[in-house]
Amino acid sequence: MTTAKVDQLFGYVQERCLWQFFSRSWDRQENLDGILQTATDLLTGKAPARETPMEKLFYADAKIMVADFKERFPWIEQEGPAQIRALMHDLKDKLLEISVTKSLNQELRHSLY
Amino acid sequence: MPMVLLKCDKDIPEREKHIYLKVDGEDTRDYLPVSNAQTIPGTLSERGCAFCGAKLVIGGVLKDTIQMIHGPIGCAYDTWHTKRYPTDNGHFNMKYVWSTDMKESHIVFGGDKRLEKSINEAFDEMPHIKRMFVYTTCPTALIGDDIKAVAKKVMSERKDVDIFCVECPGFSGVSQSKGHHVLNIGWVNEKVGTVEPEIKSPYTMNFIGDYNIQGDTQLLQQYWDRLGIQVIAHFTGNATYDDLRGMHKAGLNVVNCARSAGYIANELKKQYGIPRLDIDSWGFNYMAEGIRKICAFFGIEEKGEELIADEYAKWKPKLDWYKERLKGAKMAIWTGGPRLWHWTKAVEDDLGVQVVAMSSKFGHQEDFEKVIARGQSGTYYIDDGNELEFFEIIDLVKPDVIFTGPRVGELVKKLHIPYVNGHGYHNGPYMGFEGFVNLARDMYNAVHNPLLKLAATDLSGNVNVPVLRAAE
Repeated sequence: MTTAKVDQLFGYVQERCLWQFFSRSWDRQENLDGILQTATDLLTGKAPARETPMEKLFYADAKIMVADFKERFPWIEQEGPAQIRALMHDLKDKLLEISVTKSLNQELRHSLY
Repeated sequence: MPMVLLKCDKDIPEREKHIYLKVDGEDTRDYLPVSNAQTIPGTLSERGCAFCGAKLVIGGVLKDTIQMIHGPIGCAYDTWHTKRYPTDNGHFNMKYVWSTDMKESHIVFGGDKRLEKSINEAFDEMPHIKRMFVYTTCPTALIGDDIKAVAKKVMSERKDVDIFCVECPGFSGVSQSKGHHVLNIGWVNEKVGTVEPEIKSPYTMNFIGDYNIQGDTQLLQQYWDRLGIQVIAHFTGNATYDDLRGMHKAGLNVVNCARSAGYIANELKKQYGIPRLDIDSWGFNYMAEGIRKICAFFGIEEKGEELIADEYAKWKPKLDWYKERLKGAKMAIWTGGPRLWHWTKAVEDDLGVQVVAMSSKFGHQEDFEKVIARGQSGTYYIDDGNELEFFEIIDLVKPDVIFTGPRVGELVKKLHIPYVNGHGYHNGPYMGFEGFVNLARDMYNAVHNPLLKLAATDLSGNVNVPVLRAAE
């Protein structure tokens, strides 16, 4: 069941989110870390950080994603904080694999933009 | 199954690595077309050259800048007027074309003096213009003309002018993509930070990778004005040279075309700490999402919701009228790269259209990761497609309409398949809410236009003559 839920979230992100496909591996990693952490905060009722420009950016992307999660996958609002953290952890692993560690994109690790 | 060797490619089997047919259960970990690679000998590529990517796509859009092309006359003519990017100052950029018109003697004896003379002549003829881009081309790069030294000399003699040099001859990359790259990196390293813009709003951004095709920039500017967001620079739609020198002062970089301008957004983040937000500006759902993200960044969400509600009320009924009549239509997108991934879900969600084949001239593997993630199974994804491949793909997927450029458009018109200009648009703008209704209207008019069927009719005998059969 958890796998099916993660697959639903993964399918959404693949289809909608350009931030997973930034130019280089370190940009993709930074987005995954920042946006999924902010989304976890939003889904578990914690106020996300919004001080620095990057924190505001992560909030902007996470806020829209979380709103869509709630609309498309109503089950997510029934999950407790521990389950949300586990789901988002698994989602991040899956996204990291497709967009960074197992990506076939040969430009991903070029040192220059 | 995945990578496909088309019948027409039997003598150039290397093409198999460039054509992918998506199958359920596969993703980009399994297969990703080779792209941004050298065109294979034997294929008739549709690509442009690196110089074209710099001049036609980015530099030539600027509304107050002379575009001096240091090379033979054809390099100027062939990158002029093939895209429609108007401006609010009378379309200066589209009215004029400048070239040093290099001839054999200049190639033999060097073109530096001719370039200096041409730069001075251009500024003398247009005394109200004080900004210039100078481009090398293949021959002037090969003979080693030092355009930066010439520009420096002119600037030392004319204190009120500023010149930016783009050293990107046509042969310097595998496609026009190289020209985007060279111009982006050169500009951020040499010119950004040399003008301090006046800040008029607490909300400032650069809008990157939108070239005001038939008014895209001007349409979106209405949204930003209404939201109270100051756009420091549009890179480069309806922009001035000096707008772009002040890009370092923006609070946010909003990126539409990540392929032609992602480089400068990355560098602005690295060098100036300005965050990069990628959005899609085509499509109702996507445009609303982009506005919501920008407003969330600035903390002005309510203003954004008001704008979206007003635009939906005004344009959504019109879009739905076309959706009713386009539902189920099959579309092919054969453009540069990013429009594949910008459009495939937008036309599917907003118009009920099914995208059955997509071909990219200059996209990189990043673009194929995006489009394969968004696109459907059973759809072909092609890098650097050629004419014979297009014929074969048409037979395989039978599109009702093809969004592509005028050259390929003329080709498919001979098969009596309608095309819509996917680069310069038929009747744009296509961005934003109003723009996507324009796109839907052009698609509707193309799909339902009886003219192409009538054109296949032999009036003398009133018999339909399929073109291929007639040619045999």
